[in-house]
Amino acid sequence: MNSLRFRKKLTPYLLLLPAIIVMLVFVYLPIVENIYYSLFRWSSIDPTMKFIDIQNYTRIFKDTIIGGALKNNVLYSVISVIFQVFISLVLAAILESRIIRHRWANIFRNTLFMPAVLAITVVGITFQLIYSPNSGLLNQLLRGIGLDSLAHAWLGEEGTAIYAIIAVSQWQWVGYDMILFIVAIQAIPDELYEAAKIDGASGLQQFFNITIPMVRETILVLSTITVIGGFKVFDIVWVMTAGGPNNASQTLGGYLYRVGFRNDEMGYASALATLLFLITLALTFIQLRIGRTGKEA
Amino acid sequence: MKKSLWMLLSLVLVMSMLLTACGTKGASEDVTVKFFHKWPEPEQLEYYNYVIAEFQKTHPNIKIEMEAASDEAYKDKIRILMSSGEVPDIYFSWAGEFSWKFARAGQALDITDALMNSDWKDKIVLSAVEPYKVDGKIYGVPMRINAKFMVYNKDIFAQYNLTPPTTWDEFLAVSKTLKDAGVTPVGFGNEFPWASAHYVGDFNAKLVEGTVLKADYLLTAEPDKLFTDPGYVEALTRFKMLGDLGYFNDGANGISHSNARSSFMAGKVGMFYCELEEFVTINQEFQNFGFFQLPGGTGGAGDQKLLTGAPDGFMVYGKTEHPAEAIEFLKFLTSPEMGKEYVKRLGIPSAAVGAVSADNALPTVVEGLNAINNASGMALWMDTDMNIKIVEVYLPGMQAVLSGSKTPEQVMQEVHDIAVTVQAELKSQ
Repeated sequence: MNSLRFRKKLTPYLLLLPAIIVMLVFVYLPIVENIYYSLFRWSSIDPTMKFIDIQNYTRIFKDTIIGGALKNNVLYSVISVIFQVFISLVLAAILESRIIRHRWANIFRNTLFMPAVLAITVVGITFQLIYSPNSGLLNQLLRGIGLDSLAHAWLGEEGTAIYAIIAVSQWQWVGYDMILFIVAIQAIPDELYEAAKIDGASGLQQFFNITIPMVRETILVLSTITVIGGFKVFDIVWVMTAGGPNNASQTLGGYLYRVGFRNDEMGYASALATLLFLITLALTFIQLRIGRTGKEA
Repeated sequence: MKKSLWMLLSLVLVMSMLLTACGTKGASEDVTVKFFHKWPEPEQLEYYNYVIAEFQKTHPNIKIEMEAASDEAYKDKIRILMSSGEVPDIYFSWAGEFSWKFARAGQALDITDALMNSDWKDKIVLSAVEPYKVDGKIYGVPMRINAKFMVYNKDIFAQYNLTPPTTWDEFLAVSKTLKDAGVTPVGFGNEFPWASAHYVGDFNAKLVEGTVLKADYLLTAEPDKLFTDPGYVEALTRFKMLGDLGYFNDGANGISHSNARSSFMAGKVGMFYCELEEFVTINQEFQNFGFFQLPGGTGGAGDQKLLTGAPDGFMVYGKTEHPAEAIEFLKFLTSPEMGKEYVKRLGIPSAAVGAVSADNALPTVVEGLNAINNASGMALWMDTDMNIKIVEVYLPGMQAVLSGSKTPEQVMQEVHDIAVTVQAELKSQ
């Protein structure tokens, strides 16, 4: 009898064991190894490793490029949250509110979602062409409607490069987040809205008092993911500008890659990776905290 | 009964898998040589497949496994391969500092003996081997020679009665005429800033005295003198001037080199600074072009007749398991027979002796090679000629100079600072 109970208790852990092993080997162990490697100077070309204590970390404070990169990451996160959390929620609410005829709502939903299925490289190269200063669609459009002064070398000017890239990310992902919100909104019981209508609540009031509180969990999850995504971003930036011009659109991820795979300074890249890890860890903590403080029983 | 049957079946399955794993260690005498280069374009792949097929005819027991990655991707991949230990037996490398860092780390084989003590040395243009030498030992062998020329649209030049400039002032005058007539003088795509490095490298070679330049690039100068020659600031200022006067197209920092080349091929710009290897590509769409060397000649301590260019070649992995076979294939690849085929198919000068002639190359290519032979010397690609950490400061600096966010003096100060740091690092190793 005892052994049966023991086996029953053990079974869930045994079932979890493969997943735990995978996580340990492929996620947690590399994180620890990475911190270890960041204490050395080494490169991918020269396998000899030279212990240099925490020099890689003190260098972070002296590095002039990191400040700009982090600023770009913050911009990325903030703008992404505005578009991918708030605006996509508004869009979802509109599409679900039956203001629009059902067939049109479907068409809008599918159209807005489509960019999300495109490969990042395809998107990057396409928008490079759209943003092209002389022959690109965007500038041609602006010149065509007489707004010549607004035409820029979007990816070639230091002031506009990162914003141009952030815009592309929003174009790609707003539809995707909107679908997630639509699913969440569909789970809201109709009776709440009916009751509110009977009480004379306007659409806007319904949105703020019913929709938003009921999708709180989704808002929280999406904000966390979006903010972290803004710090981890690499591929779209690399494809469109490789961090240029003159590091104006550089992000922490892209800089880390450059340092490790072009400057042949893997140790410093490891330190930057640790920095990235700590930042995203802290942000996740903070967001979970904020989410929890509002929780009613 | 059922349970034990399942157990038996799974046991048999596992055993058979183990046995097949054991079985594949064939007892063949075949040697496999891994070969990695940076030309995945279809025409190039065709050529290399041809070389491999020809090689197999005389060497049936040496199998060549080829892999290719494009220019930018290659820079990442070679490092990844080296850190994973799966280094190809033969791999492409730019000459100069780029190849020396491999040699320093023991990733390249010393082939001085193989090259100089055989007939191989008579088949290669030996001056092209120089940039692959470290401490007098040869670590790489050149396969082709490339140089940078300013190509110009003959129709546009004829339209405005222009002749190819031979001095810097003439070049400025030609550009001004085109600009005033509303034609973009020079197409320029600097998204990947090696493009600006080719301009600035050329100016550096012409404005800074030869021994000073070498001492700075190779970090043998005194720390407080590194990159302090006024010629460097002058070079950046000259580059900036071209941008400020509007001689480049708008937004050059956001356009790729190949996009700019397309503009030239479409007849939208008057001139384009490109490599000899691109002549064939341009020729596919647009034939009426000529070329001239980027002129020197407004004073400057360097050699005014230097041509920016370099050999491109291959190195053998330092710890290869098949040095003899790898060298055998490399010899075949760089032989005059294969070289002639290279020129015929791709129109790029091979580094093999006697490979380029009028009957297998575009006339412009033959002229280009003559220009290379007649130049007083080659200034190597700047971004492979100096330590990568300095490059990573210098090149974005050029983008900044073009966009106006930094002055030439500021950039050279940053270059000086990083050079001092790198010099100290190398000394401490």
